[in-house]
This record gives sequence, C-alpha cells and structure tokens, in this order.
Amino acid sequence: MTNHPTRRPTYYEELRGKGYSRRDFMKFCTTMAAYLGLQASGAAQIASALQKTPRIPVIWLHFQECTCCSESFIRSSHPIVADIIIDNISLDYTETLMAASGHQAEAAKAKTMKDYHGEYILCVEGSVPVANDGVYCCIGGKSAVDILQESAAGAKAILCWGSCACNGCVQSAKPNPTSATPIHKLVKGKPIIKVPGCPPIGEVMAGVLIHMITFGRLPELDRVGRPKAFYSKRVHDTCYRRPFYDAGLFVETFDDENAQKGYCLYKVGCKGPMTYNACGAMRWNNGTSYPIQSGHGCFGCSEENFWDNGPIYRQMANFPGFGIESNADKIGIIAAGVTAAGIAAHAVATNLRKKKLIHNLVEEGKEAEKEL
Amino acid sequence: MSTLTHKLRRVFVWELPVRAYHWLNVLAIVALCVTGYLIGNPPGIMSQSEASHRYLFGTIRFIHFVAAYVFFFNFVFRIYWGFVGNKYANWKNFVPTNRKFFKEMWQVISIDIFLKKNREHISVGHNALAGFIYFFTFIAFLVQCITGFALYADMSHWWFADAFIWVSGIFGDNFGLRNWHHATMWFFILFAIVHVYLVFYHDYVEGRGEISSMGGGWKFIEEEQFEKEHKED
Amino acid sequence: MSQRIVIDPVTRIEGHLRIEAEIKDGKVVNAYSAGTMVRLLEEILRGRDPRDAWAFVGRVCGVCTSVHSLASCRTVEDALGIVIPPNAEMVRNIMFCTQYMHDHVVHFYHLHALDWVDLVSALKADPKKTSEIAQSISNWPKSSPGYFSDLQKRLTKFVESGQLGIFANGYWGHPAYKLPAEVNLIGVAHYLEALEWQKEIVKIHTIFGGKNPHPNYLVGGMACAIGLDDVSGINAERLAYVHQLLKDAKTFIEQVYIPDLLAVAPYYLDWGAIGGGLGSFMAYGDLPTNGYNDPSSFKFPSGVILNKDISKVHDVDLRNDSEVQEFVSRSWYDYEEGNDAGLHPWKGESKINYTGPKPPYDFLNVEEKYSYLKTPRWKGNAVEVGPLARVLIGYARGREDFKEVVDSTLAKLNVPVTALFSTLGRTAARGLETILISQWGLEFYDQLISNLRNGDTHMANMEKFNPARWEFTAQGVGHSEAPRGALAHWIVIEDKKIKNYQLVVPTTWNASPRDAQGNMSAYEAALVGTPIADPEQPVEILRTVHSFDPCLACAVH
Ligand code: HEM
Ligand code: HEM
Ligand code: NFV
Ligand code: SF4
Ligand code: SF4
Ligand code: F3S
Ligand SMILES: [Mg+2]
Repeated sequence: MTNHPTRRPTYYEELRGKGYSRRDFMKFCTTMAAYLGLQASGAAQIASALQKTPRIPVIWLHFQECTCCSESFIRSSHPIVADIIIDNISLDYTETLMAASGHQAEAAKAKTMKDYHGEYILCVEGSVPVANDGVYCCIGGKSAVDILQESAAGAKAILCWGSCACNGCVQSAKPNPTSATPIHKLVKGKPIIKVPGCPPIGEVMAGVLIHMITFGRLPELDRVGRPKAFYSKRVHDTCYRRPFYDAGLFVETFDDENAQKGYCLYKVGCKGPMTYNACGAMRWNNGTSYPIQSGHGCFGCSEENFWDNGPIYRQMANFPGFGIESNADKIGIIAAGVTAAGIAAHAVATNLRKKKLIHNLVEEGKEAEKEL
Repeated sequence: MSTLTHKLRRVFVWELPVRAYHWLNVLAIVALCVTGYLIGNPPGIMSQSEASHRYLFGTIRFIHFVAAYVFFFNFVFRIYWGFVGNKYANWKNFVPTNRKFFKEMWQVISIDIFLKKNREHISVGHNALAGFIYFFTFIAFLVQCITGFALYADMSHWWFADAFIWVSGIFGDNFGLRNWHHATMWFFILFAIVHVYLVFYHDYVEGRGEISSMGGGWKFIEEEQFEKEHKED
Repeated sequence: MSQRIVIDPVTRIEGHLRIEAEIKDGKVVNAYSAGTMVRLLEEILRGRDPRDAWAFVGRVCGVCTSVHSLASCRTVEDALGIVIPPNAEMVRNIMFCTQYMHDHVVHFYHLHALDWVDLVSALKADPKKTSEIAQSISNWPKSSPGYFSDLQKRLTKFVESGQLGIFANGYWGHPAYKLPAEVNLIGVAHYLEALEWQKEIVKIHTIFGGKNPHPNYLVGGMACAIGLDDVSGINAERLAYVHQLLKDAKTFIEQVYIPDLLAVAPYYLDWGAIGGGLGSFMAYGDLPTNGYNDPSSFKFPSGVILNKDISKVHDVDLRNDSEVQEFVSRSWYDYEEGNDAGLHPWKGESKINYTGPKPPYDFLNVEEKYSYLKTPRWKGNAVEVGPLARVLIGYARGREDFKEVVDSTLAKLNVPVTALFSTLGRTAARGLETILISQWGLEFYDQLISNLRNGDTHMANMEKFNPARWEFTAQGVGHSEAPRGALAHWIVIEDKKIKNYQLVVPTTWNASPRDAQGNMSAYEAALVGTPIADPEQPVEILRTVHSFDPCLACAVH
C-alpha cells in the first residue's frame, strides 16, 4: 500500500477523481491566483502546474520547539489544511499528526528520502541544540544534528518554520544553555526559506507552501531569506493605529482611557516599528485580529534575537552589558551629569592653577585699554 | 603691570564654507537630537481631538528626516572641503599622520587637562587633540548616518536610503540598529557640551578670539608663534 | 525471557517521548518513559523582568498554548500582591474554556482516534448504513449517504494514489481494531470536520489575545481594553463574535465529539479494565467565579485522591515545602545538595548533566538516569493529573455537575464507576469535562456581559505594574488546571529581576521517570499489564500513552 505507482496522479486527476468538475478546478486556480496577487494569466499557470505535478512529498521535522508552528499551520483558512494534506502535498512525516510511531514512522521517512531523493520539501520546526554532541534533542536514538543533515541531503528545498528554525527563538535566548542553533547555520548548499514568527501566521505558512507547489519554484526572498510577499513590510507600516502614532496619541498605561480608545501602543513597548511581519496586513486566524488590535503591543516575535531585545513593555531595549534597568537614555543622562561635573571641576581648577596666566592676560588687556 | 605684551597677528583660519558648514551642522544636530529624543521618548499628550486633526509625531519625524538629509550632505561636503580647502580645513588636521601630531596632542593634554603652567600654545587652526577628537566625531557622524538611513530605508522608496538596507543585517535586526542609533545620540550630546565649554575655555584662557573665529573666520595669533609656524612650514 | 521494545518517536503527541517496554507472555511487564529533548527555559528566565515571564513560558508549549502564560501571570501577581479586575478574570476564564475545547477535540480526533479507528477499513463501509448510524447518534447535519459516499470516494482515490502521507505505515488491519467499517468512516469524516472546526474556536483567543497560538496575556489583567464605544476596543461586535463562537463550539461538542465518544466506547469496553495505573490523583483547581483568591468559587475543585479511595479528598498546599517536591535521582540533572534530595520549587534547581548514552543509541540505560523530566511527588506520592483526576475529584467532592455527567455516562455505557480507572476512563473523562467546559464558557460570557452592563469597564490593574513599587524581594506561586492536568509555576523575585523560576507541569507528573525508591509515575504504571498482540505493532501501548495526551515540551521545558 505504501509503494507509489509508476505514474503518479496529478492534482487535477485527483480532484477529478474526487468528483470535482473542471469548472471547480478552474475556480480553485483563480482564487489561488487572486490570493497570491497574480494577474488573470496566473490562474492558467496554476492550472497547468496542478495538472502536471503529483503531490509533492514533504518531510516535516520537529526539534527544539513547542509545536505551535504545526498548530498555527492547521489553523490556516485558505487553503484549509485538510485540503493541503489530502490534495496538494504528501505529508509523509510529521510527528504531530502521523499515524505510525516508532520504527514504522522512521521507515516512512526513510522511504520518502530514498524514493524522492532530490524532490521532497524538508520542513523544519524547531532549533537544533549542538552542545554536548547534540544530546539535548534525540529522536529514535539519533541526535537532531544528525537527523537534520541526513534529511537535508536529499531535500529540494528547506522551509524553516517559525522563529525556532529561523533564529533559535526562546531556547536560544541568553545564555542559550543548549546552544540552540537555527537551520541556516547548519545546512549549506540548499535553498532555505525562512518563515519566522512565534508562530508564523497559518495562512502565511500555507501560502508559502502553495506558492512552491503551484509555481514549482521558491517565492522571492528578501535579504535575509524571508518570502517578500509576507515579510517586506513592518507591522508599523500596515498598522491601523498608525494615524494615532503620527498624531502623537499614545496609550500611556494599559487600560487607561487612551487604551480604550485604541491609541498607538508605542509607549507601552510596541516593537511594530522594528518588526517585519504580515500581522497588520493579513491579521491572524483568518483576519480576525492581531496583537495590536487586541490591545497588546507587538513584541517583535518574527525578529532575530527578539527575546533578548526586551523588556517587552518598554520601547527602548536594555543596553547590552548594563543590566536590566539600563537603557541608552539612562546611561546617557548619567554620562552627561558626570561630564558637567567634570567641566565644573575643570573650570575651577583652571582658575586656580592658571591664575597668574589669566591674570597676566587680563592685565595686558587692561593695560591696552588704559593706553587708549 | 604685566611683564609680557603680546603682539597679535590676524590669521584667516576658517573659510566661509567651513563656517557655513559648522553652523548648519550645529543646527542639524540640535534638531536631530531634540527630535530623535522625542521619537525615542514621546511626550504624553492627553487630547480629545481626533487623530485625523493632528500630525504632531509625524511632524517631529519629518523634521528629523529633513535634518538628517541636511546633516548628511553637509557632512559629505565637509569631507570634500577637507581636500580642497585651506590648510586648516585639510583632512590631515584630523588624522594623526606623523610624530609631530602625537607630540602636539600630548602637549595639549598637559596644558589643558593636567593644567601645566608656563607652556606656550602651539596651534593656529585646530589643535592636534581637538582634531583627533573631531576625527572620532566624524566617525560618529558616519555611524549615525549609516544607522539612520538603514532605519529610514524601510520608509523610503528612494534608492539612496534603500542602499543602506544591508546594515540591519550587521546588527541582526532593527532592534539593535535602533538602540545603537539612539545611544550614539548621547555621544553627540556629550561632545557638544565639552566642545562648547572648551571653545569658551580657550577664548578665556588664551585670548585669541576663539569664539568669534567661527563667525568671521579670524583668529589672533601671537607674533612669536606666528614666526615659529612660519619657519616650520 | 522478556522482550525489550522501543517506541521512539511516540507520534501524535507534542514533543519527543520515548517508551521502552519489556514484554512477556503478551503483556507489558515493565515500562520506561523518557523525554529526550530539553530547552532549559528555567535557566533562561533568570535575571529577566518578571512581567515578561508569561511570554517566555507561553512558548513552553504551542499545543496547550496560553496555559503557561495564565499560570505565569498568576504567579507574578501572587508575588506582587496584585488582584485583577473581574472582567479580566472572566476573559481569562473564557480563554481557558476555549483552550480546553480546542485541545480536547484535537486530541480526540487527531492525536488519539487513529488508535481506535481503522482508516483503511473505512473504505469498505456502506455509506447508507453509515448515514443511518450517524443519524441515530446525533442531529449533526452532515450525515447524508451522499456525504459519506463522496468522502469515501475521496478517501479511496487518496489511498490508491499510493501516497498515504500522514496515514502511511499505520497499524491498519491490526486485530486490536474493533470498530465496524461504518463507524470507522464516521470517525474519518469527523477527523476532517474537526480539523476545520478547530481553527474557528481559537478565534476567541485572537479576539482577546491578538493571535492563536500564543495569545498575549498581561500581568495585572488583560491588555484587551474594553471600548464599548470604540472600534478598537472590545465592543459589542467583538463580544457577539465570541458569543457565537462559544455557541458553535458547544454544538460541535454536543453533536459530534460526545456522540462519537459514546459510539466508539462500547466496542472497547475491555479497555475499561486496562491502563489504570497509579490510582492516585491530584488537581489544583481552576476557573474562579469570584476571583482567583477564593478557591471555593472554582468550577474545578482541587484535591488529592490516594489509592482509588474516592471517599476521602486531601487538600493541597502549594506553599508548603513538604508537599510538592521534585526529584532528579533518575533525571539528567544534578542537585547541589545531592541527587536524592527533593526540592520544593521555590528552591528548585535545573542544572543539566546528561549521563545517558552517546547518540546514536539503541537503548537507554534505564537502570540509571534516563530522562530530561524531573520526577515530582506530592508528599512523596506519585499521582496522576489530568481530566480523569479532575473529574474524579469533582465527583468525590460531591459536585452535582460532575456527578450528573459521570453517572449518566456510566449508565449509558453500563459500566461500574471503577471502569473510570483505566485508559478508556481517561479518554471518557476528557470528553465529560469538555461538556461541562462548553457550558461554563457561556456562563462566564454572561458574567462578563453583566459586569459590563453594570458599568465596570476595567480590564487591568496597573497599580503595581511599575517596578518602582515593588518590594526588594518577593516570591509567588500561581496555579492552573491545564488540559493535561495540574500546573503550577513558582517565582522568586529579587531586585526587580527573576531570581528563580520553576515550572512543575502536568506531563512532568505523568510522564516522569521513577523516583529514588523505584516507584513509577503515571505513564509507566499505566503501561504495566497492557496486553500486546504483536510486539512489532504495539498499538495498545499507544492507546494508553495517548489517553494521557502527552506533551513533552511542557514536561521538560
Ligand atoms: C546627529 C545625528 C542624529 C541623532 C542624534 C539622531 C537621533 C535619533 C534618535 C535618538 C532616534 C530615536 C531612536 C529610538 O527610537 O530610540 C532617532 C530615530 C531615527 N533616526 Fe536619527 N539621529 C541622527 C541622525 C539621523 C540620520 C542622519 C538619519 C538618516 C535618515 C536618521 C534617521 C532616523 C530614523 C529613520 C529614525 C527612526 C524614526 C522612526 O522610526 O520613527 N537619524 N534618531
Ligand atoms: C556656541 C557654540 C559653538 C561655538 C562657538 C563653536 C566654535 C567652534 C570653533 C571655534 C571651532 C574650531 C576650533 C577648534 O578646532 O577647536 C569649532 C569646530 C567644530 N565644531 Fe563648534 N562651536 C559651537 C558649537 C558646536 C556644536 C553644538 C557642534 C556639534 C555638536 C560643533 C561641532 C564642531 C565641529 C564638528 C568642529 C570641527 C569643524 C571642522 O570641521 O573643522 N560646534 N567650533
Ligand atoms: N503537560 C502539559 Fe501542557 C498542558 N495541558 C501544560 O501545562 O501541554 Ni503542552
Ligand atoms: S517559533 Fe515560537 S511558536 Fe514556533 S515552535 Fe518555536 S517557540 Fe513555538
Ligand atoms: S501600535 Fe505599534 S505598530 Fe501600530 S502604529 Fe503604534 S507603534 Fe506602530
Ligand atoms: S509580536 Fe508577533 S504576531 Fe505579529 S504583531 Fe508582532 S510580529
Ligand atoms: Mg521544572
């Protein structure tokens, strides 16, 4: 039952087989094209792609993570996940959902790695602890480091889900006791797509996958490897509270009058101005809301190092090396005070030490005055 | 009656472009520090007016960005003038290139900081220590422009600002970038305090017209010092 | 001679769990449960701002998302002496109920069902008969013969594609699967429907907390300010949305989840005598109706039951340093005062010291340390936590609502109360408490509305938010009932920073290794005695382990 037939059925054939009409199929393609922001011709492109490709095998690894990325993925509303895993991809390995356990699970993965060498998409959720020979994350008796290398070797591309896989997330926050490491630092020579966020928005995750499947190529990435479609704008640039920011109207403390009016959350620590994510534009859970709309600032969960750029409720980060209550302004004000004191001391000392010199100059000037 | 009478010679030290640069720079920096500080620590305004009727924070930021452009191009101009201007404007005043530079630096330190007495002033334009500190100041200018434009790249569609996009990679993210941009502001504030003090200090202790020199360009140099400089050149 | 088998990874759970079991004469005679991934979040929390802790510990788990954030806020509020406004309490309660309904339904269909439902057998079902069964057990509208036959076609096509995806290599056709093909088909249909449904219910978190997974919390209350006359705040539209979602969820639970549970159970009544395990249970209680500081107002009562004696419920005191303690005698950590000590979490330590085999390995050295989970004990006793514990404690405390759901279900299945001490009992208890939760969610909603109607618009108490108003040192403990059981966090604050932060988590109680005396914790105890038809395909072990709904990211943190 697990061996695949010599000619694999295409999406189109599968959809037809499930009783969908050609018209349904084209409608799906048009919706998808609109969603991906394509021109009308894009729909035809998707249609032809789906008629030619069998379901792409996907191996989804879990390392140091909290499974919220998987959870977020199954929240996707368009497309819904049941359709993705039945119609679009063949999710051959994911510890969260797969029926098989133990060596049967490992066998399923091994088979995909062999049969589809160079063709499968490798999704990674979680970071990889490299300290101490990798013992801090072992699956089936193997270390995560080894599993990653082994599975990456035959992958067509690697999708890094969430901040864990993209930048190490919470377990890599100082002092990073397990040396939790993001994927791009461990795998070289493979296309790597980063989909950061803690977790990323479900529809973003599904969108990235669908993009790869329908167009057969990677989405366009930005300078750090994130799909431009979702990470090219800051939360601040698409935030509906932006007019309040521009007006200088801020929430001063949670639950104050300004909070009830929905003013800008900048002063209670919103990191939207430094955070690249689609939250403001797409919102969460099929457009229901997003952190700022629900009254809490963005804390930058899609940014590298965001856990160490706290505290959460202050706009300015702690200054590295100066302890918890330090920020640039506090240090600056102290330095300015010290400088002013130094200057005062210097002025007094000058008047004492160089009394004669100054006296002479003054005398010289007075002399000249008299001469006139 | 004083034992010594100085004969002073008028020397044209700061050309008009240097003076213009200086005061434009002062204006831009003051504007940038004030608006920058406000961007980092916005004032609390409890107001009943509609957000659409106001644009206060937008204006503050707008001033910051305009001043930033003025600051940047003014700075670029100063670098250019460091190659074509007079000898007091020359870039060699800022970069220690020979032993004399270090020697002079030490002299200034002993006179101005350790307050050694009975030493003669040596420089006409910038003294070596001042020049060297300006060198760091220029570096700070550079840091501030680079970090500033990198932050600005997100809001700008001009290729010029976008050309700085790589910078946030160095800091890992925009948090670090912003924090350093903010922290560097304090270097400017500290510099300004000390600088203005020293200008007044030198004016007072040396009597060469230091303060007004940035107005008219003239300084008044002792005849003996003038002769010495002349011989060395 | 007994045979040693290894299940690693145990799938359809959260996290990395490894079971090693010894099998003799078709039964498990000994079992070892190990967590094999560690992040050391307790170490990472040191030195940070206590107000930020909820966000860090929220990331302990994305499956039981929000529960650690809730416990953390309560912990810090306890340390700082903050009492949150009633509105915030209700919003937290509604979010709590949301989390339960989501987590339990997803567990039943997506993590547990395939232990009982044979996907492949569903292909042979008669759609007409399936429809009749479906309509006989529930009013759920999606039950026509056409609906089931379309689904079956889709399934057939899927299976014939040869790309079985997540269903590849399952134990299909195993003799332990007992359901008729038609019930299997209903199971598969609802697997897919539940997958669609679950993304709706969580929108309540999105409304109040901005997103799900990992909604935002706030020390002192909630950040979602009430703004009845504003488009940005919690206004009538937002509240109506929440109300609708709560009602829809209740319908799904009443018309899909519970009928399915009751349809499947009769075929597996033998599992009412398997997988009982410890027989000792603990709950901390939760869902305050009159403030967190009034435990008598809790919907979920607290208490401990020892050795199946439901005539006596002991009280729990989380501040008493001789009650809850954690041991590391069989865990990969070192305690300063020696590895046989038991530490109360305020004095807890998390210094890692891995002494297991170097990977790749075939077996753990189970005679020594073998897990990243610590071993918690209550007054030295191993106890089970979770839905079964909560339901039994509610029942034993004589609470009418619990008695009603429990007794009516036992009557329907025609089994004695002792059948609850089992794998089936655990899975049933989860469903029973979900019924209660789905009703309570609406009660909390009404309580929130009546508060608002009375003009109380406060959502957070910010008096002590500013660290300038804190004492130099403080310590606190906060608890909750997470879906998987009793959860508590302990904090020590010094000089406005976290000095020590310790979590003792439901799955830590259940999945931990043995203690110094060799006493097993819940998983291991429950596995002993489980019949195994084929050691190559140990679906029976999965049934019992899955009945606890393991979460290893939680357990180790
Ligand atoms: C003397 C030079 C400058 C000083 C003292 C200065 C100071 C500051 C400060 C204190 C901030 C607030 C940072 C925070 O959020 O904590 C800021 C923000 C900023 N500065 Fe500057 N800055 C200077 C030059 C520049 C330049 C040359 C640019 C180039 C465009 C620039 C662009 C920005 C931008 C884009 C922001 C962020 C504004 C926002 O996100 O709304 N700055 N600056
Ligand atoms: C009352 C205010 C000020 C006066 C009278 C003044 C005067 C002077 C004078 C006399 C010099 C040349 C002397 C020397 O080389 O040591 C100078 C140089 C300089 N000043 Fe100021 N200054 C003032 C404020 C400032 C401020 C606020 C800044 C910026 C923070 C500033 C930045 C500079 C710089 C960068 C130079 C080096 C000029 C060059 O490129 O050659 N000045 N100033
Ligand atoms: N164990 C556990 Fe959790 C739960 N429920 C947390 O407290 O799962 Ni992730
Ligand atoms: S990125 Fe955040 S949400 Fe996703 S697995 Fe990691 S900790 Fe969980
Ligand atoms: S709430 Fe945050 S993201 Fe929105 S405008 Fe204010 S600072 Fe920007
Ligand atoms: S905290 Fe994360 S969810 Fe969006 S609004 Fe900020 S990036
Ligand atoms: Mg712990």
